[in-house]
Amino acid sequence: MSDTNRNRLMLVIALVMAAIYLFPLYWMFITALKSGSEMFATPPSFWPSEPQWGTYAFVWESRGMGRYLWNSLIIAFGSVTLITVLGVGCAYVLARYRNVWVDIGLFLILMLQVLPASLMITPIFVGFSQLGMLNYPRLAVIIAIAAKSMPFFVVLVRATFMAVPQELEEAALVDGNSRVGAFFNIVLPLARNGILVSAILIFMQAFGEFVYSKSIIQAVELQPASVGLNSFMGPNTNEWNNIMAYATIYVTPILALFVLLQRRIVSGLTSGAIK
Amino acid sequence: MALRHHHFLPEGVVFRANAPGSPVRSIGGPMKRLFSSIRDGNGFDIVLVAFPLGFLFLMAGLPLLYNILMSFQEVDMFSLGTFLRPFVGFKNYQELFAQPETWPILGNTAIFVIGSIAGQFLIGFGLALFFWVNFPGASWLRGLFLVSWVMPGLVVGAIWNWILSGDFGVLNFMLKETGIISGNIFWRSDPNYSLYAVIIANVWLGTAFNMILLSVGLASIPGDLYEAAELDGANAWQRFWTITLPMMRSTIGAIVSLGLIFTLQQFDLFAAITSGGPNNSSNVTQYWAWDLSFRQYDFAKGATISVIMIVFVMFASVVYVRSTRHEVRG
Amino acid sequence: MTKQIELSGVNKYYGAFHALKNIELSIEKGRFVALVGPSGCGKSTLLRSLAGLESISTGDLKIAGELMNNVPPRKRDIAMVFQSYALYPHMTVEQNLTYSLRIRGVPKAQARKAAEEVAATTGLSQLLGRYPRELSGGQRQRVAMSRAIIRDPKAFLFDEPLSNLDAALRVHMRKEIRTLHDRLGATSVYVTHDQIEAMTMADHVVVMKDGVIEQQGAPLELYDRPANRFVAGFIGSPAMNFVPAMVGEDGRSLAVDVGEKQTIVLDRQLQPGRKVTAGLRPEHLHFVEPGQGVFRLPVGIVESTGSATYITTSTAAEVTIVETSRRQVRTGDIIDVSIRPADVHVFDDQTGLRI
Repeated sequence: MSDTNRNRLMLVIALVMAAIYLFPLYWMFITALKSGSEMFATPPSFWPSEPQWGTYAFVWESRGMGRYLWNSLIIAFGSVTLITVLGVGCAYVLARYRNVWVDIGLFLILMLQVLPASLMITPIFVGFSQLGMLNYPRLAVIIAIAAKSMPFFVVLVRATFMAVPQELEEAALVDGNSRVGAFFNIVLPLARNGILVSAILIFMQAFGEFVYSKSIIQAVELQPASVGLNSFMGPNTNEWNNIMAYATIYVTPILALFVLLQRRIVSGLTSGAIK
Repeated sequence: MALRHHHFLPEGVVFRANAPGSPVRSIGGPMKRLFSSIRDGNGFDIVLVAFPLGFLFLMAGLPLLYNILMSFQEVDMFSLGTFLRPFVGFKNYQELFAQPETWPILGNTAIFVIGSIAGQFLIGFGLALFFWVNFPGASWLRGLFLVSWVMPGLVVGAIWNWILSGDFGVLNFMLKETGIISGNIFWRSDPNYSLYAVIIANVWLGTAFNMILLSVGLASIPGDLYEAAELDGANAWQRFWTITLPMMRSTIGAIVSLGLIFTLQQFDLFAAITSGGPNNSSNVTQYWAWDLSFRQYDFAKGATISVIMIVFVMFASVVYVRSTRHEVRG
Repeated sequence: MTKQIELSGVNKYYGAFHALKNIELSIEKGRFVALVGPSGCGKSTLLRSLAGLESISTGDLKIAGELMNNVPPRKRDIAMVFQSYALYPHMTVEQNLTYSLRIRGVPKAQARKAAEEVAATTGLSQLLGRYPRELSGGQRQRVAMSRAIIRDPKAFLFDEPLSNLDAALRVHMRKEIRTLHDRLGATSVYVTHDQIEAMTMADHVVVMKDGVIEQQGAPLELYDRPANRFVAGFIGSPAMNFVPAMVGEDGRSLAVDVGEKQTIVLDRQLQPGRKVTAGLRPEHLHFVEPGQGVFRLPVGIVESTGSATYITTSTAAEVTIVETSRRQVRTGDIIDVSIRPADVHVFDDQTGLRI
């Protein structure tokens, strides 16, 4: 088989596999558009006969999605800000040196990356309630998420800094910069893209965070969309079209970000995750 | 390691770039040295690392210790606010292992981990090999799969919950159409299948991540090794077995350990699909720990399970760290 | 002698790019053939086509008389030494050597014995248990060659194997490779961009440029009688001097345009009045007593290595002279230089071909 024919065949197979893999997403979209009775049709329809575009508006209103999404955004942005401010400098130092202390630091950070949120929530909740932090639930969640996701951020951003040649920084120092100046003027701008990609990954994680939010935030008006979705889906739920509409709206910002930045995200992951 | 600050300009005239206003001029002696060190020397590095590590220690290290402490205490709703609660030694642990559901849940966790890792790895490796052959459009398409990994776990769980629905789910429909099964499987409500329902969703979620990492590992093998092997007489299967797999060993080790770590962290899917039921048939330790604390308000037990699990997780992460390498900045 | 490798009418296209143009090449058993040329000339493509790692678009490729056009590399019984050695990093030296045998199902004991024998000839006996990362560059090179030797293939292909080594090691390994070749009675095809390697190692040199074989023959033949201007300039170091010239009215004198026009009397007849390019090798230009020389040239740059002095003139068309007599020369001196008529090469201005 000639090269071009083989390439075409592989492309076709790849498209088919991608379609199969992404089918659940497709199913989410069209379920949201089905009417109540069509949802339960057997055999299930693969294209809604009468798309119910009104479902989205209905779900938005009746479940108060505006408020839920607003809380999700606050929590996500707060976490990313805190993580970035703390994590960038840490990653820079860990990338710059190689000695016993750095190894210990890296090891500790990797260890901390490992702890499941559902196991940490117990002491965190008890501790927060003792400190009175539960009066500021969203702030408490932000802090908890920051602690959970910062190790991952540091690992990724460290890889970014390792790709910035040390000679550039040394040249800046010889030219008269202080360490602070060299860091802000030379190193940071060069690492900007990698930091941005890592921050976006963290944002996506924080936007979808569930365990901490559910456990710490009791007041419904402060809960993020993940908790909202969970409370929507009681044990005997069957308004799947509404649930899928909710999910679609919830997931849209993430999908948009992902489609825009997919290549950057993949390259950021590949350079950082294995190291 | 930091370069000494060279004075090419007359003393006192220093090229200063946007340093956050440190009032060096008006303070003398040790304070000046401190600021100078922060601006220019090792102090800078220490400050940059100290705050984040301090934060992490506070928010991750302390809770760890607190977990251990609580597992040795008797905790109830009223004693939540205090530190000094009755010390009960290993009572919590003993009670835990005396409970009938403990061992099945541990078993479920093992099945969940093994099933998820196997599924994610095998499918991910197959996909990685397929895309590694490389054709126009391969790299772009490959990235598309990652969408499953970036979506909120609860949304993934909700979607699969609906797909796995017994009477109306599309999975059952397809299985029946292809003749694999004859009657509907009640994935979520049948104790025999509920765990596998979550496993299926978890495999879907994590395969893409595995595939990406495996692709990186495959790409790191130099092409001329395969050419040399081919000239030496090896066919495609032999090349895979004698070159590809052995050279991927450390990558595979890292990926399996990462898989173990991430699988033990998986919570959202359980909350969205089965909530650990029916009857603990799909319950796993990480969900159970949360359930004990926040549904049954037995924080001590929750802490106890947490401690046991954390030991496991730490072990896996040691393996992960061992199989990855650290390089000095280039 | 039997033809071990035969290429006739071979062309290769990468899409629209014509990488190999009508290659005709015969290599007899036991010969050492060098493929030389500048980057991009197609020598590596040609070598890889012999191995089967690249396919040829048209023409025939025969190895030991059998047509190999569509035969996959692993069935061609050819061994290759890669530029980067391509040693299997996860295997010991011994396992690297025995890999090809194990793939074919040779019993372990037999394979080990073969490895030990080959290691003895290449001086690797002490290193059989080591891993490639523990070896020096020269040692890895020898492992790569041993891996090829153990297969007793129909031909050995070398893809610039010495370019990763330092200069001194390179000189040493050149001799080792040629000695091994002779001892084994092997047929070798050796790709290099270094014409000195080609000249010193090969029985037969093939000079390539832009996918075409410019000239092939014994090394000294290419040196003495280059077929065209490219080969003349490629072979020999420092490179041949090219200066514009015009054939005199009598057809025997050549007016060479070096600073002032100077005249050489040739030993052969040429078309009068023709504009040509004269080729003068630096080592053929030698000092003579004042007044007796063909050229009087002003000295520009003088470089001395102790064994030879390289003089570059400050004329418009720079001329390089190699002098071994340790004569004292300084910038600005005027020197008298001569050349034997037989050593003057003449090339056509348009085609570059030798006249």
